[in-house]
Amino acid sequence: MKNQYKTQLVKILKIEEEGSESKLFTIKAPKDFKFKGGQFIQVSLPGFGEAPFSICSDPNQKKSFEICARKTGVLTSELHKIKKGESVGIRGPYGAPFPIKLVEKRDLLLVAGGLGIEPLRPIILEILNNRKKYQKVQLLYGACEEKDLLFSGEYEKWRSGLEFFLTLDKPKDISGNLPKKWKCQTGVVTDLFDRAKIYRNAVAFLCGPPVMYKFVIKKLKELEFKDEDIYLSLERRMHCGVGVCNHCAVGSFSVCKDGPVFSWERIKDIRGAI
Amino acid sequence: MLLLNIIVRYFFIMTIIELRKFIDFLIERDYLVWTPVKKDNFVNYERLNGSDNFQFIGEAPFYSFKNFLVPCEETLFNYKKDELTEIDNSKDQVIFGINPVDLKALVLLNHIFEKDPWYQGRMKKTLIIGQSLIPKEPEHNIFHYKYEEDVLEHLQFDIFIEVQKGVFNTKYFFYTGSEKGQKILDEYGYSEYENIQFAGPIKEEGQDKNMIKYRDSLKNNYKKELWEKDLGTKCIECGKCSAICPTCFCFDIKDQPDLKNGAGERKRTLSSCFYSDFSEISGKYKFLNNTAERIYFWYYHKFVKIPDEFSIPGCVGCGRCAKVCPVGINIFKVLSELDNNEESIQDTIS
Repeated sequence: MKNQYKTQLVKILKIEEEGSESKLFTIKAPKDFKFKGGQFIQVSLPGFGEAPFSICSDPNQKKSFEICARKTGVLTSELHKIKKGESVGIRGPYGAPFPIKLVEKRDLLLVAGGLGIEPLRPIILEILNNRKKYQKVQLLYGACEEKDLLFSGEYEKWRSGLEFFLTLDKPKDISGNLPKKWKCQTGVVTDLFDRAKIYRNAVAFLCGPPVMYKFVIKKLKELEFKDEDIYLSLERRMHCGVGVCNHCAVGSFSVCKDGPVFSWERIKDIRGAI
Repeated sequence: MLLLNIIVRYFFIMTIIELRKFIDFLIERDYLVWTPVKKDNFVNYERLNGSDNFQFIGEAPFYSFKNFLVPCEETLFNYKKDELTEIDNSKDQVIFGINPVDLKALVLLNHIFEKDPWYQGRMKKTLIIGQSLIPKEPEHNIFHYKYEEDVLEHLQFDIFIEVQKGVFNTKYFFYTGSEKGQKILDEYGYSEYENIQFAGPIKEEGQDKNMIKYRDSLKNNYKKELWEKDLGTKCIECGKCSAICPTCFCFDIKDQPDLKNGAGERKRTLSSCFYSDFSEISGKYKFLNNTAERIYFWYYHKFVKIPDEFSIPGCVGCGRCAKVCPVGINIFKVLSELDNNEESIQDTIS
């Protein structure tokens, strides 16, 4: 029978430094590989196991896709040693994506905290590449320090197609100056709610750490966003990726299968969801 | 002997002598035959090498059948550099004499691992033979489950043997629940079985009433006192309850390198939500942060998540967890606490 745990070997086409601790891997897409923004893959490095990574590239790009990995543990350290031309095992894509169809007719608010920008980048790129298909889009992105900023080479392009607000928690660069080039402000991502004039009746896509969700959802509720218009991506430990091993259970859901993207409506009553 | 055989065939019903012959037939067919055996007042599965003195045991075995189908540890793949090779761990085996309480756990495991090639491979080579003696001890049958013939169409097995104790002798009625079961009986030369078509796990009268009751209580009425004060301080997170539970199946997948360079095994090991790294993600962040959250997660999985996913309870009521708990946490008492609305301390989820 079909083995869900079998990985496919795929070639690394390009590796770029992204921020100070992350690398962006461009990977040759297997035949018929299709994904949507918000989905993830399991990356396998025999000897080091498997770990889930959000796919962060433009979903319209068929020949390759990208993942961005920050060096935080054993597997990611090993991944950082890999060279262009070498291969990794993958399986997936898995999970429920952000409902991009929904925002063809509605304004969109994207809120990203830290690494949370990764699964939202496919949404950003899809919108920029098909700008006329979508309505007004705002992006609020908060990172801790300048060195944590991801995809900074694209910010000008992002600004050309959407309202982009950036904030840094500790904005000072090495010399102690505010890094002007980012056009950012100081503070956490919720502070941007006071600066940006948030569209009413928009749909919100969020991705960030649990603490960000608590505060952002509070802000959104103050702005009268409906629970079913708020979508957020949950992070959990995953081993199987196919809804069996139960490490990623949130209430009666498996984040790997029923999520990672959920509407707030579906999970708001679950103890410990955020 | 011939005369006895004729008499038996005349009545079409197996006696203990015939039953033992059937067991010998299975052993001769090179099946590993596992059955509950009682030794020094301790009942546990053992491998049978012959049918001498075989009797069905009415008491629940200490361990369930779980590890014959979901081993504590198994190799999924061998790897060499980047290449994974799928490993087949299955062998011909018979699990002989699973009681109806434990058979309910099999229905659940079959659901959970429906797409799992290792579980399915093992099931293909395993004969599941149930029997009707339900543990009488209340601690092994906490939902007071009764054996009635109509429960059979809601259980999954290859062969089911109904034990009817008479005044002079015990008789054994045979049912089959699969083609595999029919085939083996045909090959043995016994045709007086009745086939039962699996009608799904849910009875005609609808979902289990206890299940609905406990689900509603866990979902809608968080008992802070029970989880955080009582169980959260009592439980020592040893994970014994997970290991012994016939339905606990949560697992890890990990690589184990060989001494040879670039080679090793990708393994699956049974896990427990009581272990502190169960919910840990990159950067050491955990989603289950204390004992109270972990034991709540354990109960929630069995009594809410599984019922929501499969419409059947995630607990069969065998009581093994209570028996092995070193600090005396008794699932039956916890469930009656859930059912007790008078002293509940409601806590709205913020």
